[in-house]
Amino acid sequence: MPSDAATAPHAAVGRATVRVDGPLKVSGAARYTSDFHFPGMLYAVPVGATIASGTIAAIDTRAAEAMPGVRKVYTRHNIGKFYRVPTSSKALINERRPPLDDDAVHYYGQYIALVVADTFEHATAAARKVKASYSAVTNPNVSTSLAPAMGDASGKLPANEPRQPDSERGDPDAAFASASVQVDHTYNTPFETHSSIELHASVATFDGVRFTLYETTQAVMNSRQLIAQMLGVPTEDVRIVTEFLGTGFGGKGSVWPHSLLAAAAARDLRQPVKLVLTREETFECVGHRPHTQQRIRLGATSDGKLVSLRHDFIYSRARLTEYRENCGESSSFMYSTPNLRITSAFAGRDTGVATTMRGPGAVPGMYALESAMDELAVALKMDPVELRLKNEPAIDESKNIPFSSRHLKECLTTGAEKFGWSRRKPEIGSMRDGDVILGWGVAACTWMAARIPAQASVMFNADGSVRVASATQDIGTGTYTVLAQMVSQLTGVTVDRVKVVIGDTTLPPGPFSGGSMATASLVPAVAQAAREAIGRLLAAAAEGDSHFDKASVAQLDFHQGRVHRKGQQPNEGRSFEDVLAAARLGHVEGHGKSAGTRDEEHPAYSTHSFGAHFVEVAWQPEIARLRVNRAVTVIDAGRIINPLMGRNQIEGAVTMGIGMALFEETNYDARNGMPVNSNLADYIMATHADTPPMDVIFLDYPDTHLNEMGARGIGEIGLAGIAAAITNAVYHATGVRVRDLPVHIEDLLIAA
Amino acid sequence: MASNELTRRDMLTVAAVGTGALVGGSFSSEVASAAEPAKTGSGMMDISLRVNGAEHRLSLDPRTTLLDTLREHLHLTGTKKGCDHGQCGACTVHIDGRRVNSCLTLAAMAEGAEITTIEGLGDPDHLHPMQRAFLEHDGYQCGYCTSGQIMSATAMLKEQWGESDAEIKEAMSGNICRCGAYKNILAAIRQARKA
Ligand code: FES
Ligand code: FES
Repeated sequence: MPSDAATAPHAAVGRATVRVDGPLKVSGAARYTSDFHFPGMLYAVPVGATIASGTIAAIDTRAAEAMPGVRKVYTRHNIGKFYRVPTSSKALINERRPPLDDDAVHYYGQYIALVVADTFEHATAAARKVKASYSAVTNPNVSTSLAPAMGDASGKLPANEPRQPDSERGDPDAAFASASVQVDHTYNTPFETHSSIELHASVATFDGVRFTLYETTQAVMNSRQLIAQMLGVPTEDVRIVTEFLGTGFGGKGSVWPHSLLAAAAARDLRQPVKLVLTREETFECVGHRPHTQQRIRLGATSDGKLVSLRHDFIYSRARLTEYRENCGESSSFMYSTPNLRITSAFAGRDTGVATTMRGPGAVPGMYALESAMDELAVALKMDPVELRLKNEPAIDESKNIPFSSRHLKECLTTGAEKFGWSRRKPEIGSMRDGDVILGWGVAACTWMAARIPAQASVMFNADGSVRVASATQDIGTGTYTVLAQMVSQLTGVTVDRVKVVIGDTTLPPGPFSGGSMATASLVPAVAQAAREAIGRLLAAAAEGDSHFDKASVAQLDFHQGRVHRKGQQPNEGRSFEDVLAAARLGHVEGHGKSAGTRDEEHPAYSTHSFGAHFVEVAWQPEIARLRVNRAVTVIDAGRIINPLMGRNQIEGAVTMGIGMALFEETNYDARNGMPVNSNLADYIMATHADTPPMDVIFLDYPDTHLNEMGARGIGEIGLAGIAAAITNAVYHATGVRVRDLPVHIEDLLIAA
Repeated sequence: MASNELTRRDMLTVAAVGTGALVGGSFSSEVASAAEPAKTGSGMMDISLRVNGAEHRLSLDPRTTLLDTLREHLHLTGTKKGCDHGQCGACTVHIDGRRVNSCLTLAAMAEGAEITTIEGLGDPDHLHPMQRAFLEHDGYQCGYCTSGQIMSATAMLKEQWGESDAEIKEAMSGNICRCGAYKNILAAIRQARKA
């Protein structure tokens, strides 16, 4: 039936379709959370702690309360009750402690009070009048040296966690000891902050029973569950709306305390409350990528076959969270080696809580692994592409199951050809363009692919539109457009007639936008919903439309938005709106529900995306100037539903990777635990002028083990490996191996 | 707009000093108690603003930025707040045809000027050539920086920049796109310039 639409000339999936929500976005008409406005709306401004560790001795709110326009100043004594989330809950939350829970301060910027006033200016001015004093203040530990003893001979981590390896096979110690070539280095990645341009915000309304909360969230369903739990109300009494999100990169996946504050103020004052964080607060209170320290040991034969791989890592962990940065996530299956061990541990730090940031675990992890692979290639005097090709595994050796679809070799060879890699001269500083020294680097990348449970509905409407609905959200990745394309593909109705309704918990529960899983998860649910709706349409045609002269459902078919007799052309049949009109139906609807694959205990296949980055840097030693000149990235991420948006995603990730390699780090003040560069001028991200020409190629092999459209997801993979490709290129240009990100120009001065 | 920036900073300093010590913070309480002008802070100011060709009479707190005025008082929410410090460009509007960070501009300073926001450039059914170019080239992802990019780009084309990609990229570097859609933004600007 409709699945053969894939081969039809109107196939929507795989086409470079302009975003369906584009006209709203380019005209300022798309509504983001802080754009919502309601009559009588009040403005809330939180007050943050100015210590990172200690106890609130007293808070004096009198001056603030006397300020013009102030409606109420909240502390833990009058905000109302918040409840905890049970540890058995699988919901995504990184900061389980409700806001204003007690007098303990765990990090700089932790909310200690909230001012609500009639205007933003009044609330901001009054917030500065709240005075707090502290006791038992201790020096925060924000050290970026996670484990001074990490390199000790025993190789044991000074861990706060059991030493159970994350993954283990063979005898990695003996194999390493006897390997003819050994590489053993430790790599650091700094605290990084998501820095989405949209500030986190909440607009809370309460009608006496129900809350409607406009949230900046990557997961409306998760927000509803958690906020209801923490407010102590039935889930049905909370509705979350996120029509548009100014992206999140993981930083808007969890529920953060400000949402509870806004909801509680709206509950108490019975007026809508808007709370928009300041940029500074986004560095303090809504997560970051933790600092990581990773020791990699590679042992190889003299002809470049890996015999041992060890990856021991430590990540910083804030007091209020159990968030784990799984740097070893990809190391167990990336390359073939009979002997391997991955261990992890954390070091407690007095910072705000960490959370997922684009490619959590794998992004810092692949920086370390792909740097070490480059160091091994240098030690072997072997081409780094060749080294990777040589260690390509036949199966996922960590689980002993086949890959569903793995084309890393082709990523490497295609990229090498596009980039002109064969012209690379391996000696340091040996390639020049006039006075500029060129460095060429390569790195591989990977990211997991999985589905999470999803539901969707598809509805044929009498007005000739098709509506698809799911409580998922578009975080900028293009979910509106991808859903329209999927429905177009499944029904043959053109994309412009598909109405996509998402970002609202009143819709069928949809997937969160994270882990690059939303698209893949939606495919089976939408396909089932479309088929059910088509079935109902055919039934309506058989029963209610005289045009078909009492044909049975089995004699009918549906293509290009038209019901027709089997064996006839669609244009000999009737449009679905005519069928609905004849049957006097306003609409027919189908529902789809699909399970996830992520928690499968015995998966038949190992599903991951793969890719390769090739980078050229330009180094001018006389003025110590380093630039990324060009990048070629080849991605194997299954079927690409929309190459226009897909390329944009990968280019954006490479751009972010330039920032990760060269600029981005959040620095904490050791005296008070404050993130000192908590603004967009001092937390440096790649700007337009930093962005080089980029060439992104998709291999486009459908992974039909994951879903019928073969789509995997592309949100994070582009950021994995890119920092290593850049630092590998920096080494090739300068001879300086940077093992602490980001590259500082000072690091390179010895080569200048 | 150095003078705008200075003026707003002055205002903020008055506000911050007037409102005393930041919570347990480093502001000297001596300075704080010396000032105390904030008691008069309820005083509103009548101003009139010309936005997208329409005149608006407003009674505003004198500390209100042009950005917050547009968003919270006139409900023209296409102009976005990304930093409130002149560091991201999301709030870019035109004042008398020149691109300006509206977060660094007090509403009071824009009286008498012709203010244009993204809503004044074109609507979904009547897109300006720059808006159309962003649409066709996918010059965005999340869309949050987009109004600022488009306002910045349209004004930039009237400035004294050369034609090279490097110059466009330099001229557009005050508008951060965390989604990293720069390559497509560049393509869009190139197309719009020809239009
Ligand atoms: S909000 Fe004005 S420059 Fe960022
Ligand atoms: S489109 Fe998301 S920040 Fe530019």
